[in-house]
Amino acid sequence: MDTCRAPSALAQYRVLLMKDLRQEFRTKEMLVSMGIYALLVIVVFGVALSFARPGADFLEVSGGLLWALVVFTSLLGLNRSFSHETENGCLEGLLLAPLDRGVVFLAKATSNLVFLGIVEIIAVPLYWVFFSSFAAPAATAALIVVPLVLGSVGIAGIGTLLSTITAATRGKDVMLALLFVPIVFPLLYACVSATTAALVGGVLMEEAFATSLALAAGYDVIMLLASWVLYDFVVS
Amino acid sequence: MSAAPGTPAVPAIRCEGLTKAFGTRKAVDDLTFELPQGAFLSVFGPNGAGKTTLLRLLATLARPSAGSVAVNGVDLKEEPDRARASIGLISHNAMLYPDLTAEENLLLYARLYGVPEPERRVVELLDAVGLKHRRLDRVRTFSRGMTQRVSIARALVNDPAVVLLDEPYSGLDPHAIDIFDDLIGRVRDGRTFVMVSHDLEKGFRLADHVLVMARGRAVSFGSKDALDPEEFRALYRSTVGSGVA
Repeated sequence: MDTCRAPSALAQYRVLLMKDLRQEFRTKEMLVSMGIYALLVIVVFGVALSFARPGADFLEVSGGLLWALVVFTSLLGLNRSFSHETENGCLEGLLLAPLDRGVVFLAKATSNLVFLGIVEIIAVPLYWVFFSSFAAPAATAALIVVPLVLGSVGIAGIGTLLSTITAATRGKDVMLALLFVPIVFPLLYACVSATTAALVGGVLMEEAFATSLALAAGYDVIMLLASWVLYDFVVS
Repeated sequence: MSAAPGTPAVPAIRCEGLTKAFGTRKAVDDLTFELPQGAFLSVFGPNGAGKTTLLRLLATLARPSAGSVAVNGVDLKEEPDRARASIGLISHNAMLYPDLTAEENLLLYARLYGVPEPERRVVELLDAVGLKHRRLDRVRTFSRGMTQRVSIARALVNDPAVVLLDEPYSGLDPHAIDIFDDLIGRVRDGRTFVMVSHDLEKGFRLADHVLVMARGRAVSFGSKDALDPEEFRALYRSTVGSGVA
């Protein structure tokens, strides 16, 4: 007590983040379920589009399909990410410690971002290999990494807040989806637009890419700040 | 395990008009009492009397709707983080991550509290609860009694001056209860305890102060020495018999 010296917020953030990473890399619960789910969604998309004629039109829907994959996969992970905290009352154990609640939020959001990023690193190239026979993308296709990063940051941030809110509710899986999709809609719209622009290239790239990214970045900043500030209220 | 007593002149716990409302229902209603340093308070009452809510208020896990509460002179509303550094909570929830080892769990909490030499402290605590040899095993592989022992170590990792116990015997077999009692006895010196329990005999035996609650209010509070055990049992029976608050 008297001998304890309150560590810095950064040190506490590192401790909490390492806890989440260690736990997940040990059990691989989230990563395996998200990875398998992403593969299954890709297969289902493949079947759904199997009668479509190859051509440029596919490029205009492929951005949206990619984001459907990301959103559904992240929902699965977000639901699981908080189950560790509610099991055995672990969240209360953390809240007993002298630490800013915003640090708990940032650590959990970062770990969710890391897990989503790992799944995307595996799933997005597979998605592309699977669908490359439908249409050849524009030379700017590699730029889809930018909306993917911005979208994932927003999804991890707002998703962490919402999964904390719904963790103690009945039917939390449905509740999270019901709250998550409408709230994340502006980000989703911006990211689909930027991704499609990068894949199609040409005029669309010039007109929509930068604007959409600016919208996504603005959403990220506002929602991350709001989530950080609100987290204390939510967990209390 | 060293004790970490508070300053004797300052009450370990002081509640003044403490109230916690959920909507229109008052779970804790205008509670006022002072508990001296080093005391052991047992809180009794029927289901819904507000015992656990009181403990959550003391643990800073809930915020008072009205009134004030201070631990070792530190107001929990004004300086919650400072107060948290001197509080430990043992409940029927172990607050341990099942897929981390006992040592990893305790190190996590030790580092969050800023305990100096956390590795040494964790080994010392695991030794004290008789689980040093299992420190590298995942908590998931532990029995309920063993998990509760690690939970005690977790609650003491910051060397708290005030230890809160929420139904700590829940789900423990008689052997585990004996081990638990022995551990509490060993760490009791200098610390203040507040225990919520339905076990009247055990709660009364361990306590030097008792609080009986019903409908969120204090029906009786005082030093055990000032109470006649038979009168207390009659009061308890009539309070519990009055049903859920």
